[in-house]
Amino acid sequence: MGKLYLGEFEELVLLTVAHLQGEAYGAAIMQDIQQRTGRMVILSAVHVVLYRLEEKGLVTSVVGGVTAERGGRRKRIFTISAYGITILSEIRQVREELWQLIPKPLRPSTL
Amino acid sequence: MNQDRHKFQPPSWIDKFLQWQLPEDQFEEVQGDMLELYVHWVEEKGERTANWLYFLNAFTFLRPLPKRKPFSKINHYSQANTSHMIANYLKVGFRNLIRQKAYSCINIGGLSIGLACCITIGLYIWDEYKFDRFHTNYRHIYRVVEQQTQAGTLYDVASTPGPLAPSLKTDFAEIQQTCRISEAWWAGNLQTGEKVIEPENILVTDNSFFQVFDFKLIQGNPQKVLLHPDEVVISETLAQKFFRENWMQAGNILGRQIKLKDGRLLTLSGVAENPPLHSQIQFDVLLSCRYDELHSDNYKWQSNDYQTYVLVSQDADVAALKEKLKNYLQKHIKLTNATTLSLQPLSAIYLYSDFDFHTDWGKRGNITYVRVFMAVGTIILLIAVFNFINLSTARAMSRAKEVGVRKAIGALRKQLIVQFLSEASSMTVIAVMLSFLLLQLFLPILNEIAGKSLAVPFTDPAFVFALLGFTLLVSLLAGIYPALYLSHFNPAKVLKGFQSQQSAQFFRQSLVVSQFALSVILITGTIVIYKQLAFMQNKNLGFDKSQLLHVYLPEELRNKASVIKTDLEKLPSIAGVASTSGNLVDVNQSTTHFTWETQPPGASILITHLNIDPDFLTTTGMRLLAGRNFNPAITTDTSSAFIINEIAARQMSWTIEEAIGKKIRFWDVEGTVIGVVNDFHYRPMTTAIAPLLFRYWPKESISGLFVKAKPNGVKETISAIEQVHKRYNVLATLDYQFVDQMLEKQYRTEQNTARIVFYFSILAIMVSCLGLFGLATHTAERRTKEIGVRKILGASVAHIVLLFSSDFLKLVLISFVISSPIAWYALHRWLQDFAYSIRVEWWIFIVTGVLVVTITSLTVSFQAIKAAIANPVKSLRNE
Repeated sequence: MGKLYLGEFEELVLLTVAHLQGEAYGAAIMQDIQQRTGRMVILSAVHVVLYRLEEKGLVTSVVGGVTAERGGRRKRIFTISAYGITILSEIRQVREELWQLIPKPLRPSTL
Repeated sequence: MNQDRHKFQPPSWIDKFLQWQLPEDQFEEVQGDMLELYVHWVEEKGERTANWLYFLNAFTFLRPLPKRKPFSKINHYSQANTSHMIANYLKVGFRNLIRQKAYSCINIGGLSIGLACCITIGLYIWDEYKFDRFHTNYRHIYRVVEQQTQAGTLYDVASTPGPLAPSLKTDFAEIQQTCRISEAWWAGNLQTGEKVIEPENILVTDNSFFQVFDFKLIQGNPQKVLLHPDEVVISETLAQKFFRENWMQAGNILGRQIKLKDGRLLTLSGVAENPPLHSQIQFDVLLSCRYDELHSDNYKWQSNDYQTYVLVSQDADVAALKEKLKNYLQKHIKLTNATTLSLQPLSAIYLYSDFDFHTDWGKRGNITYVRVFMAVGTIILLIAVFNFINLSTARAMSRAKEVGVRKAIGALRKQLIVQFLSEASSMTVIAVMLSFLLLQLFLPILNEIAGKSLAVPFTDPAFVFALLGFTLLVSLLAGIYPALYLSHFNPAKVLKGFQSQQSAQFFRQSLVVSQFALSVILITGTIVIYKQLAFMQNKNLGFDKSQLLHVYLPEELRNKASVIKTDLEKLPSIAGVASTSGNLVDVNQSTTHFTWETQPPGASILITHLNIDPDFLTTTGMRLLAGRNFNPAITTDTSSAFIINEIAARQMSWTIEEAIGKKIRFWDVEGTVIGVVNDFHYRPMTTAIAPLLFRYWPKESISGLFVKAKPNGVKETISAIEQVHKRYNVLATLDYQFVDQMLEKQYRTEQNTARIVFYFSILAIMVSCLGLFGLATHTAERRTKEIGVRKILGASVAHIVLLFSSDFLKLVLISFVISSPIAWYALHRWLQDFAYSIRVEWWIFIVTGVLVVTITSLTVSFQAIKAAIANPVKSLRNE
């Protein structure tokens, strides 16, 4: 398998899973992203991404306990896997390197 | 869960939708998330917005979610070995077929009869439909036709003036090519060297014949042939007759001289491939239209002698062209009658041509009969399919246990539906194969009746695809209800032996009712068609058609007509001879150049005319109602005396007595009415008797003789006519016909249709009865115990038979009540095509009813009696 690439939204979801630490399930992730970015997120989009990440081995999931808040339905809690962490840090490293190369302060081009 | 949470509930149908949409294991977590969010939305944004968001989010789950891999139930199913499953379905289906041989035979047999009928009719219709579609440009070829208003009635005329075609081509840019065709009925026989042949179809046409249409030349230049007035093109068949079979090897025959009967010498400039069977234009000889342009008296705007075909450009707006053409004729002639032009598509000519005045010719079919056959085919197929459904559901109980076991082991309903559908389709496939055997029986019969040469086009991919589609459709039609019905059983109930069949019972009964209703319609149809035919053939025509011969005189014999007549009159076997200009079967010379003494302004009559001699009325046995016959001794009788028929007198508002002595003007001749003759039929029964006038102008042309033979002198008369004919003419073949045979020939299409419908209704009844027989057998089996108990308690055989039959008779009676009005209406409509028709009388329905009831009773009582005379000990012994 070649190198894995993540889309922007996938990265966002993966990061959210990482920081929610054991509280990462569909609705929570959706609300978190909505609050942070201020954009409208569709639940199914989150689910699709979560399943895809799981398929790629970046997250793992367990079906968690029952809460009354969800009308008795169980939730599937996602946690980031070691491979997920590696990928995230690789992405971050690339970004960091790029930022280093940019002259400060950053100004729009005058051309 | 506390009350608070229940205060706001998302719409439940969205939840159902989610549940339907999502795999089971994903549904729970998704719905949990949705509910959690919902509560949140309600608190933040209110219920309405929350509902809306809930809906929006739910429906976006329509996208496929990536499958979760581990431990999913769905995956277990998709790993199951489907091919083994299907093999098992087929095996079980096959075992069932074998185990219940009688049912299977009835089921498959009925279906294959129905299919064979359907395929036969399908082939027939396809054959009719194919006509003229072999031309590459058939979509862009139209025939210019006229609509004339004469004496207030609209007449369709298929022929148009000769100069129309060239004029259309110069006036309209969208008309690329034109082609005129006319029938050279005057041409008679052709002679080359010693050989004289009288071809069947001689046409006059333009060079464009080979550009507009797809007719091909074997020899000759398609760009040049027929451009010269004295050129001729012959068909391959005629070339073989003229120049022997191997004319191709015999060297170039182009340039040979061919002599027409009138002495004109023609140069052979081309040999054409025989026109395809599916061409309404058939020809043996093509003459050049150039000759007509130069020499013919009929080549003028006032004379309609040609069929004008136009080839329009691919992008032409045909509707607009039609509109422009409508009043085109006015530009060129002063019209006496309102006449408009229109366009008829080439592909519509064969089936949709119904023109007046004999202006249309060529091979013709009839859309009415195509429709009748279509209806009959559908009816038979429906009957066969209903049979199939009925027997399959009736036998459901024997399969119920199997369904129960399958379900208990874990079969899904979907899978059972597939199972039963595949069983139905394998039976249909067997039926289709059988139907091909039956086709070998049906097709020759149909070919003989309809005069076609149909064969099953196994190699035609279109046919194969159509057949596959048809098989699939029939399997679905026949299999879907039994599949749904059988698969709905509740395994717990079925395995316990609990049976409830009420709904299927009703469904089955309604199918039996519709089957018999359809059969009743077919039977009444057959009876009425036959009655109408008999009526037309036996109706008093107003003259005596028995032993009456019409001898057609070729052009060169006409001036000798009076000599031939006196020769014939001397013979002892002949009762009378009369000269005539028409054949009494279909007389079509008519005109509106006719006025009368008391004519109110604006009134006009289209009058048919016949030129006869004084012997005509006695020879044909017509009666004078008033006045006198023509008399050769009175000189004015041969110039200005007329005899009219009763309806003519009535239309001029005279009584028959008043009419005598009245002045009328026919063409430019003024004369007196000297007699009124009874109304007699001189056209097919589809048209009403119209005004007619006899004149006695010996100098005017006559076309034939009527010869009345004495009752036992028919043979002698014919040989006498042949001898006389030989004395005066050697070239042309003698053309004589019995008037009653000519009349019969006229109704040949109707007769053929009647025969076909008759055969098909027999088949329909057979199939219905097969089904009924199957049902009766089933009922007998199911009620064995009941009958046993009844017998023990003292019921007689008659009682049981009655009990048994009455169930079925009830259904047949209901179907009879339903279908009679439908049949009455349909037949009433058909009969309206005829000016003279029978009425659909009540007794026809009684006959049909009795017939159907008898057949039903016979079918059912076999089983009923068998059940009734069985020893009750046997049926009650084993529990």
